[in-house]
Amino acid sequence: MTPSKFVFKNLIRRRGRFVFTLLGIMIGMASFVTFMALGGSLKSQIERESAALGANLVVTPKGSCAYEQVSILTGEQLPTNITKDEVAAIRSIDGITAIPYLAERSAINNRPVSVMGILPEETRSFKNWQLAQGDYFPNDTADGAVLGWVLAEQFGLLPGAEVRIRGNQIKVLGVLEETGGKDDLTVFLSLPQAQRIYEQKELVSYVAVRVDRLEEVELYANKIKDKVSLGVVSDKQMRSSVLSIVGTVNITLQLIAAVAILAAAFGIVNTMMTATYERKREIGILQAMGATRSLIFRLFLFESGVYGLLGGIGGVLLGGLVAVFAMPLISQNAATSFVKGSQSSLDPVMFAGAILFSTLVAIVAGLYPAIKASKLSPVEAISYE
Amino acid sequence: MNDSVISVKGLVKEYGQGATLVKALRGVDLDIARGSFTCIVGPSGHGKSTLMHLLGGLDHATSGSVLIDGQDICQLSNKDLARLRAKKIGFVFQFFNLLQSLTAIENVQTALMLAGVSEKQQQARARELLSIVGLVEKAAAKPGQLSGGQQQRVAIARALANDPPVLLMDEPTGNLDSEAEAEVMNVLKRLNRQGKTIILVTHSHEIASSVGNLITVRDGQVEIPERIKKAS
Repeated sequence: MTPSKFVFKNLIRRRGRFVFTLLGIMIGMASFVTFMALGGSLKSQIERESAALGANLVVTPKGSCAYEQVSILTGEQLPTNITKDEVAAIRSIDGITAIPYLAERSAINNRPVSVMGILPEETRSFKNWQLAQGDYFPNDTADGAVLGWVLAEQFGLLPGAEVRIRGNQIKVLGVLEETGGKDDLTVFLSLPQAQRIYEQKELVSYVAVRVDRLEEVELYANKIKDKVSLGVVSDKQMRSSVLSIVGTVNITLQLIAAVAILAAAFGIVNTMMTATYERKREIGILQAMGATRSLIFRLFLFESGVYGLLGGIGGVLLGGLVAVFAMPLISQNAATSFVKGSQSSLDPVMFAGAILFSTLVAIVAGLYPAIKASKLSPVEAISYE
Repeated sequence: MNDSVISVKGLVKEYGQGATLVKALRGVDLDIARGSFTCIVGPSGHGKSTLMHLLGGLDHATSGSVLIDGQDICQLSNKDLARLRAKKIGFVFQFFNLLQSLTAIENVQTALMLAGVSEKQQQARARELLSIVGLVEKAAAKPGQLSGGQQQRVAIARALANDPPVLLMDEPTGNLDSEAEAEVMNVLKRLNRQGKTIILVTHSHEIASSVGNLITVRDGQVEIPERIKKAS
């Protein structure tokens, strides 16, 4: 007999209670881990999208806030009011490459997709796209659509097929190779065709700018501001403001999960208090056999810690499964559409941290019952019937 | 006095205070000779169990002293009292004496664990102890699968785990039929012959009359029979 065997025997003597208490902490930890994994996944995806944008500066309509910046990274619809003249003014600045985009939404088979109006040749070289199937736009004003890889796969669209966008039948010209970002989920049209279909005349949503001399980013940002009355944001600023939004969402979700864990912790307190009362006489017998108060305290604390350890391990497994399999299915909004086609970030360090956290929570939850148990006087405990 | 394993002087135990003050023991003097078999008898609520708890270091006295092997246990801290109980005293109680989630042998091993015996040595020693009480074949049985008499014999084996000089028993046969009572008493008498000092609280006159020494506790005081040489 060892103290750990002793604790294990006590744990499983009331199997139902053991399982239910364990489920409580497991579910709390699973939700925590799911949200953490989702948050981590969002973050890494944002980093990737930001890199995939290939821009050092982004010109947005004046007064646009962080939400629009999220939309640029996620491919959401954007307010469209940058004019042809403004685009031309930006493009006339030496030392930069400026690519305009019209970001819109449509639906294929009732599932929302991003539609992007682009300048085909410039965008292709800007983003370094490779073609997987079919042909690319023959010129900058050509009709037809080029699809992202994942989107083509999802809807079974091959070159020659037709997609319906805002009532227009559009022929699929080709499919891009996988990029790993939101471009994989986008329908690309030439800018003139997109402007026609969405009745945007000569407006665009944003302009992505790459500067030739990276150290002069600030200088060029000011040059653009001098020329046009539009918002200019650096990719770093954009990334950090988007990350801060995602961070706030994450923290909110994690707080909700923390409430679940807190409730589970009280479940442990309850279970351990019940055990203290149930085993009052046994505690007396242990004391009569020579168990010190500190040993009784440690046995109870250990027992409660095991709930946290097992609950943490179970919660990490369950949460990991949810993050991998369930989360992509919930997609179709700005935040979670990121996750689709991307890998959730299942970080072993985070998992170990979660298990440690769960164990600590359970140990803290077990403190009060353990103190109660250890403070019992031997005579009182033995006389208990 | 050198052959006394337990020596009690002016032992007082009071509970509560003011109007609710209860004087459970009102100055008890007592010597228990090494290797003796002593029965404590007396009406319910007159202080028998209190006396036993104090002799075994389960409770603190209000005043007076209890010397075990010359050491005054009334001066010990809770921790040292726990150590003393692990090494020098074996307890057996009337009810629910065994830990229900453990088998017979695990119950005995638990006492060995508490005294710091390694897990390797526990197994052999626990089997040896169970064979002393004639229950080695029931080693794997849970308390619920044992009769009352068998449970008490396992409890005795457990009390013997660390080879304590003194066994303290609070009505160990109070819950048993006469056959089981005889089983348990046979084991105890054999242990006594082998040198264990046994102090047994009982209501049974049959048991009381069958052992060497008799102490009556009445109104918190000890009525010393002639057999125990203790001047009051």
